[in-house]
Amino acid sequence: MAAPTATPTETIRFTVNDTPVELDAPGGRRLLDVLRYDLGLTGTKEGCGEGECGACSVLIDGDVVDSCLVPVCQVARHDVRTVEGLADGVRLDPLQSAFLEAGGTQCGICTPGMLMAARAFLASGAEPTDGAIREAIAGNLCRCTGYTKIIEAIALAAGAVPAFRHMPSTGAVRRVAAPPNGGPAIVPSPTLRQALRLLAETGGRPIAGGTDVMVALAARSLPRDGPLLDIWGLEELRGIRLEGDELVLGALTTYAELRRSRVVAEALPVLAEIAATIGAAQIQNRGTVGGNVINASPAGDMLPLLLATESSIVLASVRGERTVPASAFWSGYRRTVRAADELVVRIRIPLVPDRRVRYRKIGTRRALAISKVVMAVAWREDGSTWRDVRIGLGSVAERPIRALGAEAVLEGSRPTTETADRAAAAVEAEIRPIDDVRSTADYRRAVSGRVLRRIVLEAGEAGAR
Amino acid sequence: MATIARPSQAPAPGFAAGRSLLRREGPEKLTGLARYTDDLVVPGAWYGVTIRSTEAHARLLGIERDPAFDWSQVVVVTAADIPGDNVVSLMSDDQPALVADEIRHVAEPVALVAAADAETARAALEHVRLRTEPLPPVVDPLESVRAFARYEIAKGDVAAGFAAADLVVEGTYRVGHQEQLYIENQAMIAIPRGGGGITVQGSLQCPYYVHTALKRALALDDAQAVVVQAETGGGFGGKEEYPSMLAIHAALLARAAGRPVRMIYDRHEDLVATTKRHPAIVTHRTGVTRDGRLVAQDIEVVMDAGAYCTLSPVVLSRGTIHAAGPYVCPNVRIRSRTMATNMLPSGAMRGFGAPQTEFAAEMQVNRIAEALGISPAELRRRWAYRVGDVTATGQVLRDSVAALEVLERATEAAEFERGRARTAAARWARLEGAAGGDGGHVASGIGLALAWHGAGFTGGGELRLASVAGVELTSEGRIRMLTGSTEIGQGANTVLPQLVAETLGVPYEAVEVAPLDTSLVPNSGPTVASRTTMVVGGLLVRAAERLRDEVEAQAGRPFAEAYEDVARACGPVRIDEQFGGYPGIEWDDTTYRGDAYPAYSWACAVAEVEVDLDTGETAVRSVVSADDPGRVVNPVLATGQIEGGTLQAVGYATIEEAKVENGRHLNDRLATYLIPTAMDAPRIEAILVEEPFSGAPHGAKGLGELPMDVVAPAVVAAIHDATGVWIADLPATPEKILAALRAAGSGAKAAAEPAAEPAAEPAADAPPGA
Repeated sequence: MAAPTATPTETIRFTVNDTPVELDAPGGRRLLDVLRYDLGLTGTKEGCGEGECGACSVLIDGDVVDSCLVPVCQVARHDVRTVEGLADGVRLDPLQSAFLEAGGTQCGICTPGMLMAARAFLASGAEPTDGAIREAIAGNLCRCTGYTKIIEAIALAAGAVPAFRHMPSTGAVRRVAAPPNGGPAIVPSPTLRQALRLLAETGGRPIAGGTDVMVALAARSLPRDGPLLDIWGLEELRGIRLEGDELVLGALTTYAELRRSRVVAEALPVLAEIAATIGAAQIQNRGTVGGNVINASPAGDMLPLLLATESSIVLASVRGERTVPASAFWSGYRRTVRAADELVVRIRIPLVPDRRVRYRKIGTRRALAISKVVMAVAWREDGSTWRDVRIGLGSVAERPIRALGAEAVLEGSRPTTETADRAAAAVEAEIRPIDDVRSTADYRRAVSGRVLRRIVLEAGEAGAR
Repeated sequence: MATIARPSQAPAPGFAAGRSLLRREGPEKLTGLARYTDDLVVPGAWYGVTIRSTEAHARLLGIERDPAFDWSQVVVVTAADIPGDNVVSLMSDDQPALVADEIRHVAEPVALVAAADAETARAALEHVRLRTEPLPPVVDPLESVRAFARYEIAKGDVAAGFAAADLVVEGTYRVGHQEQLYIENQAMIAIPRGGGGITVQGSLQCPYYVHTALKRALALDDAQAVVVQAETGGGFGGKEEYPSMLAIHAALLARAAGRPVRMIYDRHEDLVATTKRHPAIVTHRTGVTRDGRLVAQDIEVVMDAGAYCTLSPVVLSRGTIHAAGPYVCPNVRIRSRTMATNMLPSGAMRGFGAPQTEFAAEMQVNRIAEALGISPAELRRRWAYRVGDVTATGQVLRDSVAALEVLERATEAAEFERGRARTAAARWARLEGAAGGDGGHVASGIGLALAWHGAGFTGGGELRLASVAGVELTSEGRIRMLTGSTEIGQGANTVLPQLVAETLGVPYEAVEVAPLDTSLVPNSGPTVASRTTMVVGGLLVRAAERLRDEVEAQAGRPFAEAYEDVARACGPVRIDEQFGGYPGIEWDDTTYRGDAYPAYSWACAVAEVEVDLDTGETAVRSVVSADDPGRVVNPVLATGQIEGGTLQAVGYATIEEAKVENGRHLNDRLATYLIPTAMDAPRIEAILVEEPFSGAPHGAKGLGELPMDVVAPAVVAAIHDATGVWIADLPATPEKILAALRAAGSGAKAAAEPAAEPAAEPAADAPPGA
């Protein structure tokens, strides 16, 4: 058998714990492997390799991320901080001391990642309530402590954590090279025009925050349909803004950005509510709305809302732009109408005066959960009568769907118990859920009906007050 | 949250034990300096991978290599290359290190490959095909005809007991696989040494189990095989027996390659290939009188051992002995068996058989309390063991019985009776609301369970182990403790030197811990069974006492003042202490009568939940747990054990589900085998109760496994209190809860119904969920 040709490498410059690094590696090498094996910083641990445990958490420019999901080309010109950058030699910083005193480390394997997530949280200046701390570390699994003493330690350290100690850097650059074939190559694309041209020429697969693509790479389940194309740096695809009566989200808008956005909070706060249910801090800092749309999972958390709000998806290619309604975008199981040379660039969400939107995700746990059922319901109230009812549902068919039968029941009706029961029966009859490793068809069907019934009843009760 | 007062952190001689001294290896773990197996740099090491079966049962006809692949760049090892016996030596030696002819479960190791880099090794895997002939698999333990062990315990006259009963309650309870889910996957590095020796360094709980297995499979002598523990990222039983398999594999590859070989599992391989908690089916028939006396218990336990014996007989033995719960009953019969199937071998996991049978026992007590209309706390108050009571094996509980104490402490702290009144009032409110409208859709519930856990090995196990631990005064005047007990996060490296320091009257920092290397430390037995603080700690206290007396006799001064001078003048002194039994403890393995354990630890948990009646989703809001581990050596580390075990048990109770299809585990990633996050974790209040064990010099019993026994039944009782439905199969998933609510009528109505009136006539209740 012919020896495979070596993966091309590139030179990537960034800092780790204030030390400048110049790395020769394939752009798709995992940041985790660069830290552990190329730089010898083994404090960062691997627990799952797919963004589910948080043991590999590090900070990029202060944001906590799972380093197993970051292709190293995306840290070029950024600052990476690891657990080795916290203490001054053996003198622990106040957060580490609090962990030691409170008993927040047992076997210790989750500890470095936990410290980095806690550090990002404390630096954010958020009020260190029990609930806020739990949410901040929800992306870091610990099997030893029950989290009790970790939460206690973080609360103890709040207010005492100093700015990062800057390491006495000599300015000397650390030059390292990854071993041959240390990961897939990634083609850079500095501008949207270049990205679209490359896409047209190579039919490559775009990679943004990596929360789906890197997982598929690790599982060796990514279709080898062309080179990976880095779009994470495309400024043209960022930004949240109002355009006329629409809310426009750049495809690279992250869930963290949705949660922080003032525009979202005023125009469509449910978006921030949904973003908060996706993964945990590490995933929210890297996962994007465009990625959720193009990954086309039937369980995609954003997708039912896009259906219920009659949003549209803007695709761009060298041939120009076209706009596809969400209801026509997902064509089958993990399939979309995107052509091979097209890129999702924006999501347009119509803003309708007096529209009400309710959202509910049923998962197995409260963070890091893939939904068993996800539902978004939008309607207008004309007196006590419902108008323009739109129901989006996920995880109940091979793709995200609208519940047209239930919509018809609710359209022009008042939210009475009788209406709610009929709508529930309609939705149960029209969906086609399956049994899988997460749940059962029976459960998904029953819960879809019951959740819809609940949403209608609560709206009715609210209206009656 | 823990209710212990936190003493000052500053160590003081003579007062090391009983204080929350800081975790010894904590600073290394907090700075990233601690070296776990995959952190170790071993120059020239190759990467090893495993070729596994994809069938549950088949005859292996051949291992075919694709001639298109360049095999010169790798080494391949099959069963034929094993120099010693092809077994992973443990109890019955039935498990091969590599399949020779018959595949008995999915993901069974068949061959090994190593290469200079991981990519090449993995590429080789894709060019190997196993030629097999399928055989019919057995996937249900009830259909299996082959038992690895059977036990029967009998006390009194069960038939007479049932004849005297006014009410007979029956129930069948099922629990599934649970994955230990240590965050560090299995990992081992083998390094060939001169003279045919091999050192393995890895993530493990039991260095001498690995040592024995390595010698047998590689045909090595005691000195040739060396086992070193690297920092270990969690065990929970999962690194009790499996590392022996992995060490053999790494050593075989290292021998074949003539160089070090690393075998580091990824999460997928760890989930599909390594042992899990034994699934079990437990059936109870219990006779009680109308006034609430327990008169007969008839219990049957069936465990699924999987394809090989592993530790199943002792898992079953512990499960059997604990199956009746911590209650006095004059007439008891417990029959149990652990069956061979073509499932992944079941193995050790925290609790070791007891969580399975105690879940059933506590479910049964809670259902009986409901049937009698007696508070579950009051019923336990009447039934729970007191000093002088006799267990099902005929053991007289002579001291250290804290069942009532933990019951009172937990119910008081959790305000259990007030909570019950509150949830009952809410049920009525929902019922009345349901008449006019919809009522509420989130229901609160509170539940209780009580448990016991025998400390140390079962029956004659500790005597057979004859563990050794030592304390040494080196010629430089340093104090070193030597044990084969591993630090796996539980705090052994802190608690054990605390005991030695206290005994010697020296500062905690003065006691060094010898590196965990079988060429340096004695065999202190495995780090399992909640035995380390009690058994090994006791040996160290005795050894330290002898060392102290010897030095003080020579110097005529207190040890702390004299030991440095004595060491310089007289050279090193090492005292090894070997376990020789606890006074008055007797056990007969043939009749299963006697003192099953030298002492028991006790726990009571009160759980509060909220259940969404639309969806069956459960949020465990709080768990208050009172635990008695005898004398507490380090309160922060002890409450850490309770809190961590509590959450592991909450996961077991609610979300940790291993679905298996034709012997294949479907939850094969962390995205599908889910454990609780910080947002799922309840508020946990750990209360330490200290009822010292007089047989151990320092009064300590076991702690690590205790929370695993008690929390799941408390959570399920709370779900019942909220919803009115009993979930008899763990985990109590929303799917099961909603199905039960729908079967019971509309969810809101079922939840609103008050507890059933006590049944007046002798009757066999339908099993829950039926």
